Amino acid sequence: MLEVKNLVRTFKSGDRTIKPVNDVSFKLAQGTLASIVGKSGSGKSTLLSLLGALDKPTSGDVLVNGVSLAGMPDSRLTDYRRQGIGFVFQQFNLVPNLSAVDNVMLPMEFAGMRKAARLSRARELLEQVQLDPGKHARRINRLSGGEQQRVAIARAMANSPQLILADEPTGNLDEQTGEHIIELLSSLSRDHNTTILVVTHDRQLANKTDRRFRLQQGRLTEEASPARPAATAPAPAPA
Amino acid sequence: MSVLARSIGNAFRNKVRTAAVVAVLAVAIGLALAMLVANQAVAGKVSELNASVGTVLTVTPAGGQGFEGGGEPLTADQATTAAGVPNVSSVVGATALRLRNAEAAAAQAGAGGPAGQGGPGGQSAATVTTSLTAAVDAGTLGTRNQAATGTTGSPGAATSFSLPITATGVGAEVDTTGKALELTAGSGLGDYSAASSGALLGTTLAEKNGLGVGSAFTIKDQSFTVAGLFDAGTAFGNNALYLTLPTAQTLAELPGELSTLIVTVDSMDHVESAKTALQAALGTDAADVSQGQRNLETAVSSLSSVKSISFIAFVAALATAGLIILLIMVMLVRERRREIGVLKAIGARNRTIGLQFVLEALVLVALGSAAGAAVASFASGGIASALISSNTTTATGAAGAAGQRGIPGGMAPGGFPGAPGGNPLGGAGQLLTSVTASASPGVIGAGIAAVFGVAIIGALVPALLTARIRPIEVLRGE
Repeated sequence: MLEVKNLVRTFKSGDRTIKPVNDVSFKLAQGTLASIVGKSGSGKSTLLSLLGALDKPTSGDVLVNGVSLAGMPDSRLTDYRRQGIGFVFQQFNLVPNLSAVDNVMLPMEFAGMRKAARLSRARELLEQVQLDPGKHARRINRLSGGEQQRVAIARAMANSPQLILADEPTGNLDEQTGEHIIELLSSLSRDHNTTILVVTHDRQLANKTDRRFRLQQGRLTEEASPARPAATAPAPAPA
Repeated sequence: MSVLARSIGNAFRNKVRTAAVVAVLAVAIGLALAMLVANQAVAGKVSELNASVGTVLTVTPAGGQGFEGGGEPLTADQATTAAGVPNVSSVVGATALRLRNAEAAAAQAGAGGPAGQGGPGGQSAATVTTSLTAAVDAGTLGTRNQAATGTTGSPGAATSFSLPITATGVGAEVDTTGKALELTAGSGLGDYSAASSGALLGTTLAEKNGLGVGSAFTIKDQSFTVAGLFDAGTAFGNNALYLTLPTAQTLAELPGELSTLIVTVDSMDHVESAKTALQAALGTDAADVSQGQRNLETAVSSLSSVKSISFIAFVAALATAGLIILLIMVMLVRERRREIGVLKAIGARNRTIGLQFVLEALVLVALGSAAGAAVASFASGGIASALISSNTTTATGAAGAAGQRGIPGGMAPGGFPGAPGGNPLGGAGQLLTSVTASASPGVIGAGIAAVFGVAIIGALVPALLTARIRPIEVLRGE
């Protein structure tokens, strides 16, 4: 379960103070596929980096299964990122000189898994994301954008995280490939009981998520989702 | 894929750049290793010089050096007195005599050649005939005493002139520098304080006369057997032979007389005080005490400066290699900021990423070291020679000149041509140029270890920089 409490992040820009995340609160049950939509510069990526422990909030807290990230030392935050979270980026952010299978093995290597075990798991994950087995050993820069995003999703799944944060996962893909990726995320959420939070401009993707949020001027509101009515969505906390 | 495998793979991401970096590193590391090899070779030679003559004092009859004439010959009692001086570890008496081939001597006498004046202490050194022929032919070495019109030659006598052979009677198996004789064949003479018909011949003298161990020759019609061959390292030094001290004294018909005392002091620190004490004990009117180390000071000092220069160059080249690594790795870290951020975002610890970059640097250094070692093995000899020749030209000249000063009896034909193996100075020039800089595995290994040490330091800085990269920067760049 992911719980966000009164999360605030401010930046100084000269004399001005910017609040890309302004008193955001929400809860996501385990296995939920959720999306956050919003205009460019609305604070979507900032919110995602706070949830992924890549950045620290100015105030408020993020609780993962009841464990607070606030005040956690950097070494434990690294452990949390390694074991508790999977990231999927718009630019894929794979290591270009490694093969698909080597990229998927990276988080498992950081977690100390033995080589044989991680190789077996990496192949299994690549099969789950439907990457042609003939391309498992191929270098990343010789794969198409859709294939690279599949590898990125497999890498995000490597250490069986409870939460996957995806930042514009279909942003660099054509419509058809994007749909495949949406289906893949949806099935992962359903089959593996993984909470997936997707930041996107893609309304089609947002419509396929269980819950849909809109971030506007740092404030989060839940919208009704075609996949699930908004009635169960918690209202944003007052400022 | 392990950190090491990933580091190796990363080192070859850009093959052209890797080749360029390795080439630059190879030059720096090769230069560092060559300088280390030169440094070690020169250090070894300095130790050798110090060990051979550094603690040796030479005692000659008063006024015996140069052309002042000389006093009474030294005696066994003076040797005993010298042995009693504090810090003196050994005293070896020596008597020198000249050997002339009987036929050559007769021919030279018939042509009006100069008599054999000169010799130890400025006195007439005993000249006796021998069946041996000198290994050095007149006119084949040096520029003096070889031309009929030369200032020191005897007009009209050059065609019949031949160099004498030096025979030295010694009380122990050492040359006149106090250094142990380097036997290349046979054995020593056993008891050097007793008369013996054995002799040790210089290699070139034996070769010239077709003699080997066990061969016979005569001195003053007395038969001697070649007991062993020695190599003094110089042409003049090998145109000589050694006898036991009593035998030489008998042949010279000077029983109990010594031309030189070779005094060895227990350590370099005591040389100066022992010299003063020795001079006082023997009396300034009876004996002169000279310090071989002084005479070689210029040569050793010159070698020491080569040693210093080579060490500074080694450190500089090492620092250059470290700087190259530092700059390259800083560049790579800057280039891969996004990748580092992603690795951190997916859970890599700072130390894992830092280790990856250090290992990548070491891969480059290993390649550079392999090429550098090859460069050093080919270049170290030439570099060492160039360093030595550019630093010892003056020193060699000075040492050579001093060597001539030290030759008892002057340089007139028939005079004493210097002790076998050179006096404390005679072979200085040759010693300086005989430094052999060979790239031994030990020295190369030590050098490469130093290179790796510096490379680790150079790579740690960029590795630590990776710890400062925040993964949030990756997402912000999205």
